[in-house]
Amino acid sequence: MGLLIVVIVIVVIQFVRPALNQNGQILASDMTKVYTMPDSVKAIFETSCYDCHSNNTRYPWHASIQPVGWWLASHIKNGKADLNFSEFGHYSKRRQLSKLKSIASSVEDGTMPLPAYTLMHKNARLSTEEKMLILNWTKKTQDSHALKIK
Amino acid sequence: MVIVLAALTVLQDDFKYTLNDDYRNCSPQEDRQSHFCKKVLPVVLNLSLFTIYLNTMKTILFSITVSTLFVAACNNDSPKDQASEKPSSDSTVQAGIKDRAATTGTSIDGLLNDYMRVKNALTKDNDKDAAAAGNAMAKTFASFDKTSLTAEQAKMYNDIEEDAKEHAQHIGSNAGNIKHQREHFETLSQEMYELVKTFGAGQKVYYTNCPMYNDNKGANWLSETKEIRNPYLGQSMPTCGSVKEELN
Repeated sequence: MGLLIVVIVIVVIQFVRPALNQNGQILASDMTKVYTMPDSVKAIFETSCYDCHSNNTRYPWHASIQPVGWWLASHIKNGKADLNFSEFGHYSKRRQLSKLKSIASSVEDGTMPLPAYTLMHKNARLSTEEKMLILNWTKKTQDSHALKIK
Repeated sequence: MVIVLAALTVLQDDFKYTLNDDYRNCSPQEDRQSHFCKKVLPVVLNLSLFTIYLNTMKTILFSITVSTLFVAACNNDSPKDQASEKPSSDSTVQAGIKDRAATTGTSIDGLLNDYMRVKNALTKDNDKDAAAAGNAMAKTFASFDKTSLTAEQAKMYNDIEEDAKEHAQHIGSNAGNIKHQREHFETLSQEMYELVKTFGAGQKVYYTNCPMYNDNKGANWLSETKEIRNPYLGQSMPTCGSVKEELN
């Protein structure tokens, strides 16, 4: 009896789907357009970060299954609220610099990309060289855009 | 046996800040217990364990007991310091800030008050209090009265608020991760400095620098006292720093 209830619940929740985060375009406010960025760095951001931190998520097949889909949707919602590469150009300069700093520190200490994400997406894992590329790029960009305090 | 020695070696790495005595103002004020725990005990332990290793199986029990004692003794440092420290500076901050009437239009007293709470919590390595204060500060930002700001003040304030509020929120949601709280506190301090420059603090505020934080890149903070109490290094080096500027 209990098992039947569980099965019914699982079937019912399949019909409750979150909206998909897909836009299909690279906006002018995308971070790759705001700063000078070598293709190698751009590729890393797009592969390892954009699924949660942009307006364009590449969904895997298992995203159609609930509750996995809802779990992914919440990751994406939180990710975009903290940092959205697609809208980066709309942030104030101050906020842009703070985000660069956060990107560098999260990549450096390995909290980003999320371990839960790289578990499923092996190609999103950052090698040591890729980490260095990101860290060097963020440092260079921060330095050339630093705010001057009067 | 090897694992215990390895563990002890790793524990010793945590104390690297206190072993750098180069900066003239930053000689660590270690009491005898800290000195014993951090410098003498590890060496003595490692040597004695190694010599005993050459003997019997009792070594395993012995080394577990000894390393537990070591960890217990050395982890009791911070709670003792916290308990004996009087929170008198917090009440001074409250009194000082609330006594003044806001004579020049909008004042940032509330924000400065919350900021000092975060700062003081970090000096005591208290991530939970820092988180509580961070959340309070985010609320203060949200309820800040912008109606009597001049156009120029509003521009400056809005620019800062957008980012500073987020740092306060992140400090608020990172109890348990003081390292991360301190990263956000660094940028927040810069932004509070700019706010104080624009609006005035209404009390003496000391813009202080810590040269060693973040691999010697250094960072600044605002303090209500001239006395140095370092929020970036906390109890590991509380007096490291020097006042760069006095603000009103």
